[in-house]
Amino acid sequence: MARRIWDHPILDFERGEPLKLIFEGREITAYPGESVAAALVAEGVDILGWSKLRGRPRGFFCGIGKCSSCLMVVDGIPNTRTCVTPVSPGMRVSRQRGPPPIPDVVPEFDLEREEVDLAILGGGPAGLSAAIAAADLGASVLLVDENFRPGGQLIKQTHKFFGSRENYAGVRGIEIARRLLSEVGGLGARWVLRSSAVADYPTGSGHRIVVRRPGGATLVDARAVIVGTGASENMLAFPNNDLPGVYGAGGLQTLMNVFGVLPGERALVIGAGNVGLIVAYQLLQAGARVEAVVEIMPRIGGYFVHAAKIRRMGVPILLRHTISRVLGRERVEGAEVVAVDDSWRAVEGSERTFDVDMVVLAVGLTPSVRIPAQAGADMIYVPQLGGHVPVHTPRLLTTLDGMYVAGDSSGIEEATTAMLEGRIAGAAAASDLGYAPDRAERVISEAQRQLESFRSGPFSSRVLEGKEMVWEKAREVIG
Amino acid sequence: MTERLDVAVVGAGIIGSATAYYLAARGLSVAVFDREYVTAGATGRCPGGIRQQWSTEDNVRLMMKSVEIYEGLSEELGAEIDFHQGGYLIVAKTEEERRRFEDQMRMQRSLGLPVRWLEPGEIKEMVPQLDVEGIGAIGAAWNPTDGYANPFKVTYAFASAARRLGAEFHLFTPVRRVVVEGGSVSGVETDKGFFGAEFVVNSAGAWSREIAETAGVSLPNRPYRHEILATEPVRRFLEPMVISFHDNVYFRQSHAGAILGGWGDPNEPPGYNLSSSPKFLGRFSRLLISYVPGLRSVRVVRQWAGLYDVTPDAKQIVGEVPEVAGFIQANGFSGHGFMAGPITAKLVAQLISGEPLDLPIEGFSIERFRRGETGREASVVG
Ligand SMILES: Cc1cc2nc3c(=O)[nH]c(=O)nc-3n(C[C@H](O)[C@H](O)[C@H](O)COP(=O)(O)OP(=O)(O)OC[C@H]3O[C@@H](n4cnc5c(N)ncnc54)[C@H](O)[C@@H]3O)c2cc1C
Ligand SMILES: Cc1cc2nc3c(=O)[nH]c(=O)nc-3n(C[C@H](O)[C@H](O)[C@H](O)COP(=O)(O)OP(=O)(O)OC[C@H]3O[C@@H](n4cnc5c(N)ncnc54)[C@H](O)[C@@H]3O)c2cc1C
Ligand code: FES
Repeated sequence: MARRIWDHPILDFERGEPLKLIFEGREITAYPGESVAAALVAEGVDILGWSKLRGRPRGFFCGIGKCSSCLMVVDGIPNTRTCVTPVSPGMRVSRQRGPPPIPDVVPEFDLEREEVDLAILGGGPAGLSAAIAAADLGASVLLVDENFRPGGQLIKQTHKFFGSRENYAGVRGIEIARRLLSEVGGLGARWVLRSSAVADYPTGSGHRIVVRRPGGATLVDARAVIVGTGASENMLAFPNNDLPGVYGAGGLQTLMNVFGVLPGERALVIGAGNVGLIVAYQLLQAGARVEAVVEIMPRIGGYFVHAAKIRRMGVPILLRHTISRVLGRERVEGAEVVAVDDSWRAVEGSERTFDVDMVVLAVGLTPSVRIPAQAGADMIYVPQLGGHVPVHTPRLLTTLDGMYVAGDSSGIEEATTAMLEGRIAGAAAASDLGYAPDRAERVISEAQRQLESFRSGPFSSRVLEGKEMVWEKAREVIG
Repeated sequence: MTERLDVAVVGAGIIGSATAYYLAARGLSVAVFDREYVTAGATGRCPGGIRQQWSTEDNVRLMMKSVEIYEGLSEELGAEIDFHQGGYLIVAKTEEERRRFEDQMRMQRSLGLPVRWLEPGEIKEMVPQLDVEGIGAIGAAWNPTDGYANPFKVTYAFASAARRLGAEFHLFTPVRRVVVEGGSVSGVETDKGFFGAEFVVNSAGAWSREIAETAGVSLPNRPYRHEILATEPVRRFLEPMVISFHDNVYFRQSHAGAILGGWGDPNEPPGYNLSSSPKFLGRFSRLLISYVPGLRSVRVVRQWAGLYDVTPDAKQIVGEVPEVAGFIQANGFSGHGFMAGPITAKLVAQLISGEPLDLPIEGFSIERFRRGETGREASVVG
């Protein structure tokens, strides 16, 4: 099955020497730098496992370790998230049916301890910008990311960014990630990959953070912590929404743009916000057909240019339509779309079937806020920001001493604002720890000014409304 | 609400919910008040262990009666409760423990409990994944009719059955005061106003002491935090609940496959602290891995804490207090109120409706503390 992309109009996939995985006894080709899940999908393995209770097939969905759809037994260890596990030669991989048995291998487990001024959880644009700002002001920084590729969502964004020049307008997301990373390294901030922050215990004078990594765990004692754990993709409720071949938009982007894997030929995209429009365009770039973009609202949510681009290439955008079910038993074999009336009910007789093998959901994101919620930060439900977020001040301080939040985990927004929030949080944390407060305050007010001007556009009015609610609550609680 | 209730119940944990059921089944008018929701207290935080191997006779008798109820409860309430009799395996690590267990087993057998001693090899046979040598087990006390049930399912089943029989549940409605007039309760004052009642049952778990105080009754109970965690699900390999008094540890496997377990910190001060600590995570994980080495690469997915409502002799307080007529205590369960729940609730209902009791409850009366009696329950874990 030829699913790896070798020719792409704007991306070069430099694959090294192929290596072999052992998938349920047979050899599978993979390339260094691929995730286990991506390699399997590339080789035509769509079913990565079966659900525990009903034995339903499960496939690649989010691609960033957030949905549990790709749990497999890897080298004897069950429930391994294969979408954030890199391949290595001779690795043994198998699928799970029902809860897996406890492993007979007893791997090494070592516990390390570390002390640092500032721990940053998540290395997307928010975390990386926070690291740069704080390290530049003199704080010692440790950034952890659970993926094996740093950069968060940026690394799959192959399109050029909008916004202001000082914030990388006109630069592709992947390139922004590269620049941020080299800056982080240049300032001596440390970052470790494949390391999941799983708990934060406020200690009174700081935070004790448990980080799981291959081979063990690290207890990080940090005087302050910045949460930049991003977001997870939303699901829609319709029959067969769990079949392999239904992808989150970000998950499919990861497959196509990071790993150069196109898992099908014909796609239906659900959601005509920016993400849906961009992913439709990227599907075309990768050589797939896009049968339609389906949008339940009476208008397109994303930027006009993105919509115009795909329309020019012949992709219909069906407004006031939604997906009603996916066809297929083991994977997507088609999808049914219906028109909806003014009260969002399906219009009888309007069903249309599309012959597609990919259904791509671009229906929003939900902030990943487990760490602040677990640590005991006050949370607030704000629909405009995508769900529950930690209550925070305009300096991004939560209701817990020494805990800051930035980027999508403070409310779903964009990479540009994630970077600005990261800068503010990083500078605020450093300043509150006593590092170059004067300079820090200047960084903060400059970033706040840029943020304000960025958010003054019409597309930001909802976000701003949400942020106002959060700040108002923060004034009540923190003062 | 104008009519006077027969009974106002404070707290919608297992005790309050089951009490409402047994009272309503007797045709009494009942209202349950909880400042949060059904299972918000210790009930929703416990792993649902049901054990009859106790060190005092009255507790053994009580738990045996409770198990009788649990055996038919699903049918009686018309709801699945995941009751499972996989046994309790109480690991012994020292000769002193072995002697103590042997004495206790003699007493337990005389009451009809099918308990017996297991040699290390027999433990291994029963749960091959247990590292019997590694933990230094010299044997175990084993009772096959112990087990567990799902605390949420049990409590919601009681609450729904109670509602069907006419009991009212006022949730998110804190009780501010138990009102006493002329030496008798006259009702409860809540955030929704005053509710008159003939009887008030104090089943507010670790907050019972505060409730009692509003009626001028002083309880010796103290709240202690107990922490617990759950792992990701793995294939069923563990039938019994495994506990050790020596290590102060317990764990079992849930229906869905998660390992649930806890360790009790002997240095925990009393208080209403409900936070989770890294100390517990580290200590318990290490202990668990020493018992079942294969769990080393299984991830912890959740950690939380609940309160034990502990009395000086680690036994519950059940019955009317002498100084306030109509004020019934059903609290102080000291870490075993889930298993004691159904029978205790039934006894309270029998007491209130003036029926003969299934079991004597003098041993659980508050007056034992005033008389300075000792008869401490020694088999407390976690
Ligand atoms: C399809 C798509 C297109 C987009 N296009 C644009 C665009 O054109 N312009 C724009 O401005 N924005 C765009 N965005 C939005 C933008 O990508 C996000 O808003 C931005 O990446 C958020 O940055 P972040 O740092 O908050 O989170 P992320 O980029 O999501 O990074 C979070 C990081 O945290 C790590 N992590 C999560 N949990 C843990 C944990 N417990 N321990 C350790 N690490 C953890 C993750 O591995 C990840 O690397 C797009 C988003 C999508 C999905
Ligand atoms: C970690 C842990 C493990 C345990 N393991 C076991 C076990 O394996 N087996 C076992 O049998 N027992 C176990 N226990 C003990 C058991 O959970 C309790 O004894 C039992 O749940 C007590 O039930 P309850 O209904 O009395 O109290 P709770 O469940 O605590 O209910 C009390 C209720 O009162 C409410 N309340 C408090 N104040 C007010 C007010 N002013 N007004 C109105 N309502 C109020 C609370 O919101 C709460 O819902 C464990 C406990 C813990 C914490
Ligand atoms: S967690 Fe791997 S695909 Fe979502």
